[in-house]
Parts: sequence; structure tokens; C-alpha cells
Amino acid sequence: MKQIGTFRVNGKHCDAIIEPHMLLVDVIRDHIGLTGTKRACASGNCGACTVLADDQPICSCLTLAVTAQDRALETVEGLRSADGTLHPLQQAFIDHCAAQCGYCTAGMLMTAKALLDANPRPSREDVKRALSGNICRCTGYVKILDAVMDAAQKINAAREVAA
Amino acid sequence: MTEFAYVGKRLTKPDIYGKVTGEAKYTDDMTVPSMVEGRILASPHAHARILRIDTSKAAALPGVLCVLTHKDCPDSRFSRSTMAEALPEFAFTGERQDQYILTDKARYVGDWIAAVAAEDIYTAEAALELIEVEYELLPMILDPHKALEPGAPSVHDDVAGNIAFEMDHPFNSGDVDRAFAEAEAVVEFTGVNSRQKHLHLETDIAIAYHESDGRLVIISPSQGPHLAKKHLTKRVFPDLSDGDIRWLSPTIGGGFGARLALGVEPVAVLLARACKRPVRVTTTREEDFSGYSSRTDQHQTIRVAANKDGKLLAIEQIIVADSGAYLSHSATTATVNMQKTLGVLKCDNIRGHLTVAYTNTPTTSGFRGYGNPEGAFVFQQALDRLAEKIGMDPMEFRLKNLKVPGDPSCFVPVPLEHTKLEECIHLAAEKIGYKDKWQGWGVAKPGRYKRGIGMSVLTHASGAGGFLLEHSSCVMKVLSDGALNLIVSPCEMGQGIIGALAQVAAESSGLRYEQIRVSTGDTDVTMFDIGSHASRSMLVIGNAVAAAGVKIKEQIRDRAVALFAEHQVRVTPDQIEVRAGRITSDAAPGVAFDVAQVAYAAIYDFGSGGSQLNASGSYLSTSHHPNHQAAFAEVEVDTETGLVTVLNYVSAHDIGRAINPLLVEAQMEGSLVQGIGFALTEDFVIDPDTGRVLSDSLLTYRLPTTMDVPDMAHLLVEDPLEAGPFGAKGCGEAGLVNPAPAIANAIYDAIGVRIHSLPMAADKVLWALRHGEGAAPGGSRVSGQYL
Ligand code: FES
Ligand code: FES
Repeated sequence: MKQIGTFRVNGKHCDAIIEPHMLLVDVIRDHIGLTGTKRACASGNCGACTVLADDQPICSCLTLAVTAQDRALETVEGLRSADGTLHPLQQAFIDHCAAQCGYCTAGMLMTAKALLDANPRPSREDVKRALSGNICRCTGYVKILDAVMDAAQKINAAREVAA
Repeated sequence: MTEFAYVGKRLTKPDIYGKVTGEAKYTDDMTVPSMVEGRILASPHAHARILRIDTSKAAALPGVLCVLTHKDCPDSRFSRSTMAEALPEFAFTGERQDQYILTDKARYVGDWIAAVAAEDIYTAEAALELIEVEYELLPMILDPHKALEPGAPSVHDDVAGNIAFEMDHPFNSGDVDRAFAEAEAVVEFTGVNSRQKHLHLETDIAIAYHESDGRLVIISPSQGPHLAKKHLTKRVFPDLSDGDIRWLSPTIGGGFGARLALGVEPVAVLLARACKRPVRVTTTREEDFSGYSSRTDQHQTIRVAANKDGKLLAIEQIIVADSGAYLSHSATTATVNMQKTLGVLKCDNIRGHLTVAYTNTPTTSGFRGYGNPEGAFVFQQALDRLAEKIGMDPMEFRLKNLKVPGDPSCFVPVPLEHTKLEECIHLAAEKIGYKDKWQGWGVAKPGRYKRGIGMSVLTHASGAGGFLLEHSSCVMKVLSDGALNLIVSPCEMGQGIIGALAQVAAESSGLRYEQIRVSTGDTDVTMFDIGSHASRSMLVIGNAVAAAGVKIKEQIRDRAVALFAEHQVRVTPDQIEVRAGRITSDAAPGVAFDVAQVAYAAIYDFGSGGSQLNASGSYLSTSHHPNHQAAFAEVEVDTETGLVTVLNYVSAHDIGRAINPLLVEAQMEGSLVQGIGFALTEDFVIDPDTGRVLSDSLLTYRLPTTMDVPDMAHLLVEDPLEAGPFGAKGCGEAGLVNPAPAIANAIYDAIGVRIHSLPMAADKVLWALRHGEGAAPGGSRVSGQYL
């Protein structure tokens, strides 16, 4: 039974024709056209499909699209600011070479963003724990952890300057 | 030392921007107008002949375009491995062509029976369920040793005794029997590795469609599209020829060797040709597990001998490898195992024999290290055992038996030109504090948590010159703003080769790194290359790129003579310097030009004789240039649970020169963690009653997470290799070779028990602790069998 679903993704409203069984990850990728979010296991075990829903990281492969209509969704495409400036996390991933094949990267960034929003001064251990549900097969995680720690520091430094 | 503008600098890679913004396009992110979805029906039985297959109900389902079976496949056999196309004809015996796209006889649970194309994925999946297949169940054989016994069921009717491949070590040497007889110490170690899964996060996928001129386009994450194209036309669809196919290999979501074999591309082509629509064939994570690609499990017995002062006198290695249902890369990985494992240390008496057996299990393949990690796990433990027997420090023992330039290399007909392994051992030992941590053989450690330290050394390829067709070509052209378009065919699956080649291009041409625009992944555009594997890209493609860059620089110099002349300066081309996009000359201090001026004038030349700056470069490696590494692991074993934790790991790598140390470090970190998974948790489990893969999800097949990352250091020993571009050797695979043996040796140091099979999971370690290592010889098949 097809219906029109209305979503709020990265601050924009978008309509998509959906069916009740459709997963959020597929609707975001195939119907809304934001292919930055990846699907790698479709069973909640890798974190590649992580998006934020009302600031909380969720596996979009475990979420039925119909249930996500009233939530504020954020994908990797929404991380950059409107003028194109990269989010400090994105910049740190570049500086530290924290993405290799890049398939896990969107999910890593979204999980890390949720962490830093909730806990601006995480210890390395905190970061490890927060990202432990995101599998990366390429990097060995070291550079990802370095990047998140670096981004946290830069965000805090910028905040202090502003304050 | 020469001052380089870019070589040796920790620069970020050009392709990373798209990966952090979500803009990078992988195969699954692409659509082709009017594209339909393809899915594959897999066999539920390990060994069964199809008696009857009825596709009529599936075909009648609205939205289904076609349903194909073995009757619709070309009558030619092929191998998933495309390596036959890069080997000389005589070597084909190791590359048996033994399968069809869809089979009439299932040889493993997951073998491909039928394929469907439908308007959408839901219809395609519904159609799969409507295909009726009647099977005649055949006796199955799941164990390679049993498969080789007389009277075992035959996996392939035309292969006697299930022997898929068999050979002696190609470089058997000396008098092995005499050496063993005369040696003062002889030990043996038997072990087997598990079938590590590549687990590239992007599952197997391909799109195939016809262009308006009738040519076939394939989009898939291939590690070697040029070779794959030749293989596909020569073996899979012999009615097509090389020029009929254009292969696009976009951003790749991880490879590690899996994309070196054909994946679902043949099915996509079969469907696209049948239904005359663009077809995308996708697979699920579960299908990836039960599918065709994993490390080959190689059961090995290694015997080594030494005299009292630690001279290694003889090595004998017997390998029984399990190819699974089809040969693919399993014979070549076993061969490489022999070369690399037996070739790392100096030894005059070597004998090896390998047998590859067919079984009714998923096909195995090549995986980062390509036989070397499999061999190292057993050999490096055998070496430690021998060192213990003669009462020598295991590091001293290895140092005593190092090769020096001029000795036979691991690829024996070619002498070793270059090695820094000795420096690597000293450097890594120093960094981890080996002298203080290794307390001697048989020292019992107190307490529940016991610590130990272990080491391992390796030699690995930088390409397989002299064995494979190590040929790469590239083209470059300079754009009007001084940017360089490098057109080249390495496959960027994350390893960073695009960035490293851009550094080589910028350095050799004298242009600016930030302005190197790399075009890749399209066989219509790029020149020939055999793909990204065997740690070859840096050396082989790098040399092709460096050669082209030199030509560009010459052209710039020639043309710049006129620019200096305009400033009343007379210089000859060899007095002109081109570096980081600037043209200068010592003969004319204060006068400088931007390369863009020359490049622009070359294109927008309204006079006569204009031509854009361009050059091509080719390189064919006919020699073998191994890289080396020493690694030390420090572990802690919980003797009440068997859990092994890696605390610290240090490797030192003989890399020739690191074109980009940041990228090399990234490779080493990634492969170490992959190696820790191989060593401790990644278990590919096949149900001994049904042949079904039980570890078919990321929940049951346990990969390392952020919580499993130890302290680590990766040190570089740089000493330029003459044959390498700016002295570089390859490095991509090496980091995965040493972790399992170094950890195994460290476990022994901690608890005095050797583990004979991978992974060295907690249950196995605990069992060995309680019952002695002899009671847990290990098989790679059943997890939890020790509890
Ligand atoms: S794709 Fe959603 S967790 Fe793996
Ligand atoms: S970068 Fe490849 S999976 Fe993380």
C-alpha cells in the first residue's frame, strides 16, 4: 500500500512515495536521493547506515521509514554548513586520513557528531566506546579516534574564542 | 639527500573529500535510466544435482523480465580468478577454469542456480521464491583431508580424487633429507588458518547495460577492470571481444583482494543481455558470507632443522589447502605461501609440496597477504619452537639467519637486491623494549593474567615481476592552468594509491600536487594495467607515472627556453628547474615563471606547431622487489577465561622510501587490526552436518571494533630501492602477515601453550590451557567445539 511520506532531512522537507515495509535507509538513499548514507549489513551490526534522529544516532536499516516521519533527521550531507564549510569532524577526518574506502565514514561521522554534541570533552576511552558499534574494516580505527579527539578540541577552542 | 617537493610528505589524499561529505559515488549509488534489479537464487544444498527446474511461475509474476538458469549460460568454463590472463600460458595449470555462471550441479550451499531480473527488488526477491527446483542430493565432502582419501565423493566429475592442484615447491633446493639427518635439532609444527572473510563493507554488486552503439558497459567495484574485461570476454562470454566492453570501476568500498576475483558481474551481463535492459545485481551481507570469497584455509606441517649455534639447516613444508567448490585463487595463494614463507630466511635445503583439494564448501580466494599470513602463522611458530629447542633467544635466532643482498630472494630465480630486515628487527625490538620483556624460555609467569611477548618477520612482494605480467601504462596531459590530468588505472579501494601516485606525478613533472587531477576507473580512458594487488601499484604504476612525468618536465623545460629569452636571458633546457609548478634557473636569479604560462601557450597557440603538453609512461617489472617487516606483539592472557588481549604492537617496515608516510602508517594500522581479527576472533564456521555457513552475519562473525585497538607503533626504515619510483617499495599487504604469528608466539611466552589453529579464540586457548595443546590440534571449521 503506497503512501506519501513526509520527511524532514537536514532541515528540509521532502516527500517520498513509500510503502509500509520500507526501511529508512532505502528511502533516504533511493527516494530522497541522499546516497551518502550507506547500507552494509541491513541488520544493525555495522553502523554504516547511522543517521541522527532528533540528535540521536540510529541505524536507519533498523528503522521503518513510516516511523521516522515526525523526527528531525540528519545525514552526512547535512554536516557541512550552508556556505560549504566543512564540519570540524569532516575536516579532522581529512587531516588525519581517517577514511580509507570511505564506506563506514558517513556512519562514523554521524555517531561522532552525536557524541560531541552530547559530550563536548570526551576522553579517548569515551570515543572508543561511542564508536564501538561502527565497524570499519580499513583504518584500524586509530586515525578515526585521533580525528574525533582533534575535532573535539577544535570545537571547544572555537567555542572559547566565541565566548 | 635530495630535497623533494612532495615525496615523503604527509599529505592528505585527494579522494577523501568526497568520502567525508557523502559525495563519493560507489556502484550502489549509481542508477542508469530504466535500470532493473537482478537477484540470484542460491543452492540450499552442499552437493546436489538439479533434476528439474521450473521457472514458469517466477517468470509469470508481473514485473519479472527474465528468469535464467544453467541452460541460458554460455557453454564455456571460467574461473572467478582473473589471474590466468596475467600469467604466461605455461602457468595456467594453477588457474583451472572450472565453473559456469549458473550451475546444474550445486557444489556448495550458496552455489548459483538461477538469476532473475525484475522491475524492482521486491519483485525480484518474490520471483526467487517461485522458482521450483528438484534436487537429487549427492554425498558431500567438507573436509580437505577426507576429500583426498580414496573413495571420497567427487566434487567435479572430471577431476580424479578431488585434487584441484598439486605441485612441489618450484624452488626445491639442496639435500633436505641429509640436512634433517645431520641437524642437531629438528622440530615440527602443524597448524591451520581460518577462512578469514574480507568483509569489505560494500557488498558485491554490479551494473551492466548496453550503450547506444551496442557496447556493453559494466560498473562494478573491480580491483583490476582491464584484466577482468579480458577474462570476461575470453572465458565467460567468448562471443564478445575485448573492445566490446567498457568497464567502469567507481569508488570502491573496500577490496582486500576480494575484488580481484569476478563477483556478480557475469550474472549482471547475462541478465542485461537477456532482458535488454540495464540490470543491477545486488547481494546481501548474508550472501556475501555464504558466497565465494574468503581466505583459503591451508593446513600445514612444517619441519625445520638447525645446528647448535642456530644456523637454519632445512625446511620442509607440506600444505593441504581447501579450495572449496571451485579453484579460484586457492592454488596461487598456496604457491605464494611456499615462496614467501620458505623464502624469508636463509636456508640452503628447502622442500615443499602442496595439494589443493576440492570440497563442497564456499569457494575461497585471495586475501591481503595472499598466502603469506597463512604460512607465517605456522612457520614463525615452528621457528620459535626450534629456537627453544636449541635454547636460543628467538630474535637472535632470526637475526642469525637473515638473507643478505645476493642471496636467493623469496622468488628464488631472482637474487635479493635489497633488504633492511636486520635494521627493522633492531628498531622494533628497541621500541617495544624486547630486551627487558623477554625473560627466556620456560619462565613461568605468576597470577591469573599472564603477559608475554612474541615476534615475527616477513618478506612480501612489491608486484610479482617475473611471475605475473607486471605491466602498467599511464597518460598525462597538462591543462591550460598548469593542472595535470593523470590518467591511470590503479583501483582506489581506500589504500590511498591515488594520492601517492599524484605525489609521484607532481614530483617527477615538477607540477603542483594540489593541481593533479587523477582520472581512473574507466577502461575506455585509462591505459592497460593488471589491477591493484600484490602490493604492486606503488612500484609498477608508480614507475610508469614517474616516467611520464619526466617527459612532461622535459617538454616544459624545452618550451621555457623561449620564456627566459623574452627576458633577455639565454639558458639551455638543462639549466632550467621545474618544481612545484614554478620554472626557475640558477642562471637567472629573480626570473621565475608559472608552469601555467607554458601550458596555456602550448594549447592556445595561434601560430604553428601547437600541441598540448602530454606524455605517456609504461613500466614492465621483470624482477622481484620484496619488502620486509619485523613485528613484536605483547599480549595478556586471562588464564581463567582464555581471553587474549593485545596490549602493544610494534612493527618496523623496510619500505624503500615512503612516498607518503601518513598513508603507509594508515595501511599498517588498518592491516594490523585486520590481523588481530584474523588472529583472535574472526571465525568462519561451516556446519559439519549441512555445509551451511553458520557465521553469516556481523553478529556471529566477530570483527575487531574500536575496543580492540592496542597501543601500536609502525616505524619506517627508509633506504631507497633503486628500481622503485623515488625508491619506493610496495607495502599494502605486509601489515597483515605478522600479527597472527607474533601474537601466537606471545601467547606461548605468556602461558607456555601453543595454539595450532586460527582464530586463537578464548574457548580454544582455555581448552589448550586445561588439556594441553596436543588435545586441541584445531580445525578451522567449528567454533565453540572446545567448550
Ligand atoms: S547497514 Fe545498518 S547497521 Fe549495518
Ligand atoms: S574506511 Fe573502509 S570501512 Fe572504514
